[in-house]
Amino acid sequence: MATFLPQFQSIKSSFAHIVLSVEDVSDLWPTIKKGFEERLPFKRASLNNKTRNPVLVDELPAEFILTTDARLRSRFPQEQSLFWFREPYATIVLVTCEDLDEFKNILKPRVKLIVQNDEREWFIVYVSKAPAHNDQATKMAKKVHAKLEVDFSSKKRERCCKLDIHGPDPSFWDDLEAKIMECIRNTLDRRIQFYEEEIRKLSEQRFMPVWNFFNFFILKESLAFMFEVAHLHEDALREYDELELCYLETVNMAGKQRDFGGVEKGDDQATLLDSGKKALAQIVQDDSFREFEFRQYLFACQAKLLFKLKRPFEVASRGYSFIISFSGALALHESMLPFCMREVWVITACLALIGATTSNYKDGLATPDVEKEFYRVQGELHTLCHTKFMRLGHLVGYGSDIERSPVNSASLSMLPWPKPAVWPPLPPDASSEVLAKEKMILQESPRLKHFGIQRKPLPLEPSVLLREANRRRASLSAGNMSDLFDGRPSSGDGPLLDSSGTPSAVQKMSSVSMSRTLSSPGNFDGSIDRPMKLAEIFVASEHALRNTISDAELWKCLSSVEEFEKKYLDLCKGAADSYHRSWWKRHGVVLDGEIAAVHHKHENYDLAANLYEKVCALYAGEGWENLLAEVLPNLAECQKILNDQAGYLSSCVKLLSLDQGLFLPKERQAFQSEVVRLAHSEMEHPVPLDVSSLITFSSNQGPPLELCDGDPGTLTVALWSGFPDDITLESLSVMLTATNSTDEGAKAIKSSEAIVLRPGRNNITVSLPPQKPGSYVLGALTGQIGQLRFRSHSFSKGGPADTDDFMSFEKPTRPVLKVARPRSLVDLAAAVSSALLMNETQWVGIIVKPINYSLNGAVLHIDTGPGLSIAEKHEIEIEKHEFGANNTDHSDSPPDKHSPVSADVKQLSLEDGKINLPDWTSNITSVLWIPLKAISHRLAEGTPAGTVPQRQSIVDGLRTIALRLDFGVSHNQTFEKTVAVHFTDPFHVTTRVADKCSDGTLLLQVILQSQVKASLTVSDAWLDLQDGFAHTGKGDGRPVSKFFPLIVSSKSRAGILFSICVVDTPAKDGEESDPTSVLNIRYTISGNRNLGAHSPVTNELTGPENETDPLTFRSALVLQRPVLDPCFAVGFLPLPSNGLRVGQLVTMNWRVERLKDSGKDVDSDDLDEVLYEVNVNSENWMVAGRKRGYTSLSTKQGSRIVISILCLPLVAGYVRPPQLGLPDVDKVNISCNPPGPHLVCVLPPAFSSSYCVPAA
Amino acid sequence: MIVCLAVVGHENNPLYIQSFTESDDALKLHHIVHCSLDVIDERVNNPKKSSPAINEAFLGLLYPTENYKVYGYLTNTKVKFILVTTDLDIRDADVRNFFRKFHAAYVDAVSNPFHIPGKKITSRTFGERVSSIVKPFGLNSAS
Repeated sequence: MATFLPQFQSIKSSFAHIVLSVEDVSDLWPTIKKGFEERLPFKRASLNNKTRNPVLVDELPAEFILTTDARLRSRFPQEQSLFWFREPYATIVLVTCEDLDEFKNILKPRVKLIVQNDEREWFIVYVSKAPAHNDQATKMAKKVHAKLEVDFSSKKRERCCKLDIHGPDPSFWDDLEAKIMECIRNTLDRRIQFYEEEIRKLSEQRFMPVWNFFNFFILKESLAFMFEVAHLHEDALREYDELELCYLETVNMAGKQRDFGGVEKGDDQATLLDSGKKALAQIVQDDSFREFEFRQYLFACQAKLLFKLKRPFEVASRGYSFIISFSGALALHESMLPFCMREVWVITACLALIGATTSNYKDGLATPDVEKEFYRVQGELHTLCHTKFMRLGHLVGYGSDIERSPVNSASLSMLPWPKPAVWPPLPPDASSEVLAKEKMILQESPRLKHFGIQRKPLPLEPSVLLREANRRRASLSAGNMSDLFDGRPSSGDGPLLDSSGTPSAVQKMSSVSMSRTLSSPGNFDGSIDRPMKLAEIFVASEHALRNTISDAELWKCLSSVEEFEKKYLDLCKGAADSYHRSWWKRHGVVLDGEIAAVHHKHENYDLAANLYEKVCALYAGEGWENLLAEVLPNLAECQKILNDQAGYLSSCVKLLSLDQGLFLPKERQAFQSEVVRLAHSEMEHPVPLDVSSLITFSSNQGPPLELCDGDPGTLTVALWSGFPDDITLESLSVMLTATNSTDEGAKAIKSSEAIVLRPGRNNITVSLPPQKPGSYVLGALTGQIGQLRFRSHSFSKGGPADTDDFMSFEKPTRPVLKVARPRSLVDLAAAVSSALLMNETQWVGIIVKPINYSLNGAVLHIDTGPGLSIAEKHEIEIEKHEFGANNTDHSDSPPDKHSPVSADVKQLSLEDGKINLPDWTSNITSVLWIPLKAISHRLAEGTPAGTVPQRQSIVDGLRTIALRLDFGVSHNQTFEKTVAVHFTDPFHVTTRVADKCSDGTLLLQVILQSQVKASLTVSDAWLDLQDGFAHTGKGDGRPVSKFFPLIVSSKSRAGILFSICVVDTPAKDGEESDPTSVLNIRYTISGNRNLGAHSPVTNELTGPENETDPLTFRSALVLQRPVLDPCFAVGFLPLPSNGLRVGQLVTMNWRVERLKDSGKDVDSDDLDEVLYEVNVNSENWMVAGRKRGYTSLSTKQGSRIVISILCLPLVAGYVRPPQLGLPDVDKVNISCNPPGPHLVCVLPPAFSSSYCVPAA
Repeated sequence: MIVCLAVVGHENNPLYIQSFTESDDALKLHHIVHCSLDVIDERVNNPKKSSPAINEAFLGLLYPTENYKVYGYLTNTKVKFILVTTDLDIRDADVRNFFRKFHAAYVDAVSNPFHIPGKKITSRTFGERVSSIVKPFGLNSAS
């Protein structure tokens, strides 16, 4: 059957569409061919697929071929059944006839003969040549056509149609198309059935020895091909999938050792997208195909169909799996294949797949999800290709140009070396190349990382290449590996052998081999038994690869370092771009890092920095510090070179804030020194820097600092420095944010001096100006290092700085400062409540009472008001205030006890009205005693007894002291108060005439009322009398001296009697007589200054004898002579008995009687005009008549007159009645007899009366 | 052989990475674990693709490459466990089983009152327990 393969191939290649055979019975084809072919390809063909479901094919190409054509002739029957798919799908019989007889006799038998073959699907097209105007001919044509229909059509199926050449009916073409389609559909169904049946039969024999894959393959592929031709791609694809499954099932059956293939020239180039690259006949293997070629062939067929189905994304994803699985198959046969065949194949396959799928893919072809997936697969393909490419590069000695990044390490270090049966030997004439390679190895210097970071480079090899290569050499067994290293200068390097692929080992080895080479340059091509050196391995690999790789393009990429790097970068970029368009963003960004590394190496710092930034952001964002630590120094280096100071600084800070274990202390110091160097250099644009991750802060442990309103304070803040060394901060400020008010922004509190931060915890104190009341939390920390303004936002939780503390900001912030609402911090009050002595120097006590607040350094300003002065000669005293002293001490306690100077009394002096309070009083309540003298120039007045005891006006004795206390931590607090102190005279004097003796002697009783809370001792008293009075007897008016001393205790009264008499003293003209008498009292006082009046402060505080100096009190007394000498008597005559009523007129009557002759005008006139006046409250009364007027009264004694006034009460109630006065007469000369009533009762008006009612 | 085992927090931050290789190349394993988060993200964000398994914590094979395999496991709190192994023929059931045990160990470790949620797991006991889980796993699959 295999012999049919070439034929099958050629049929496949020449056959591209469905064939429709045309049986041209009447030589009509040339005339109608054009019209028929214009219908091609068929639009909207409806076919049945394998499962008999209708499928609409948009475009079905077909070809009309005459049965006489050579292509349809000369086929063998066997061929026909095998390649049935190429047989015509419909037979169109073209006939014409204008005569019924002709039809009957000639045409009908002929057509019968043609259509008798059941296998074919056929129908007849009757072509009418009759012109439209020729009715006869037309009629005849119709007849013939009808006859045709009768003869050939059945009920089930219409097999005739009619074409008018001269007047084509538009419906004809539709009819024709429908008929053709019906035929094709039927043919297709039948053929599918046939193939299926055959395939089923073969499948059953699949595991029998007679099984032959070729038969199965040809049937299956024929079916698939038929589907493809009929544009049923979906079904075709399914057939290929089944074919592949079946192949994989049978090809690897046990017991059949087959040739894998892939050893021919050019096999290294993947043909997975090119089914026609190799003829099928070439890959025949026994009863099947070689796996290497055939699997690729199958995939190519599938890919072709998928592209036709517009599913390039499926090609990509299927292709990727195919490459992976095929790569596994290659690995199984690696020992038979050329050196690195597997790697090269994968590279070419990936590239081919990428190329084909990308060119077939148009954006928007698939849903976004599928598109992302497509790009992911693209990325995977690129990455796979990249990995294999790196492996090849490494084998030919470009390993040092591959970045030893985690990505490359991950993909290469776990990828085994190629495992050829024998490692390629060194070609004989390669000594110069070896030398060149060795030179290259020597020249390569490990690129130093910035900041002097030393890292063990990541491995790129699964094991040491040198070992691997030598082990696989034919002549060297694994046993004599130690030969490799004998004769080394230092053979003690045990770990070197064990270490698997550390680059340092490679480095060392290369240097070792170098020294050996130099010592014996001549024995390159010597014995084959000598282990190969690294350079030799490179050269050998290169030669072997040159044999393997048939693709000139790929070889060019490996021919030089530059080309290698170019391809490397291309693949990287391709992968990164694809990943960026997929879900796999991380993959993309990481590959960006690889691109950056290449740019970095080529000093393309700008591009490199941009890409590195992306990578760093990715790692930093998710907290992958280990990976970040690998990339960040590179970024920093680029930034430094680009002079991007802001970026460089922030990179340095980030490096410092990474986990401490990631860098050596030395490296961390290098980071710091860079920061400090930049900070102190002259930056063009000083940059702000966020050091939140590096310098963290918190308030100190314990309760928040509490301050009173307006007070400054010092705040201690704990700072954790992540710097490895001490660092000097030029300034530091802490932001305080009020928690209670949102409108106020944070306030910066500056620390005054430069601060050196040690690594770890530091306590910083900052002075705090007065703040508004409220509670505050720490906001942010700002400061300066050199010219660098930095800022930190992160609170640390109070323990040692935790470097991976990136969640610390979630901790609730604790208030660090509380400023209390304004409250009284101190109170000033007068120490005494009772009055002090007027006109004497008295101690006035001021109680200074701090309220939970220290008065340290407080200054008291004293400003005395008018009528009060400080006795400046005296010291001011201060003593501790005893609570309750007022209660326990009494005024009668011995005065010595309260002597001004006591043991715990301190003297202070007044300067400019200010007193500095001593420190010991700062927290206790103290009393400040100030000697003050209230001055009153008014003489105290006595009052007659019996009158309302009119006390001396309090205001008279009231004096005020304005006090101002400056206190607080920095004298910022002020307390002002005005204290009232009451001064008074010691006594209040009242007098009364105790008795009027018959001889005119008056006994005057003087009552002394003590006004002070102190005991007064009267030692002497005398009375200076006014004119008109005289002491009786010869005395000077002093009481008997043995009455004295008279002790008047507090609030008690004492009386002294004076006997005086009234004397007539001639009026002295021009000389003012003394209107008042003066009572003089000499007394001493003994009182407690805590309580009130006490003995005055003496001028010289010398001895106790001064205390006894009596004081003098003078009080004026007014003595009135009894002067009752009435001239007139005014009497109020009784009111009518029926009472007063509002609105009722009433007549008030007064009787005026002259009691005495008028002295002055006795003889001049009998009648005297007396002026009268009615005093009345006009709101209560209405007076009808004259209120004021003169009336005549005889000058004779006893003459009388009645004055009547008509009045009208206006208000009901008790009202004061009108009163009659005589303004011209002195009051003392008027006697009211009988006196008028104080009040009279006025009744409310009668209900029925009105104001208009006239007097009755 | 299990070469690496990692716990990744719900914000994709590493909480625990332990490599079991002898050579000093943990960084590449960091890279593998980090990149495999892409796959987890993709699966979690596009549930329809892997609809049958979405209700299960075990995410299955994330990352088939030629040389190693990455398996994933997602807890209810969106903490990911990632396993990198160089065993190429390994049964899903074994891995699933392994992850269950590991999950139990993880839960115990984070239930420690001194552990701060979201912080790296530094417990030595956890480390010991993990190695005791890892060791027999390698043996089983090898046999």
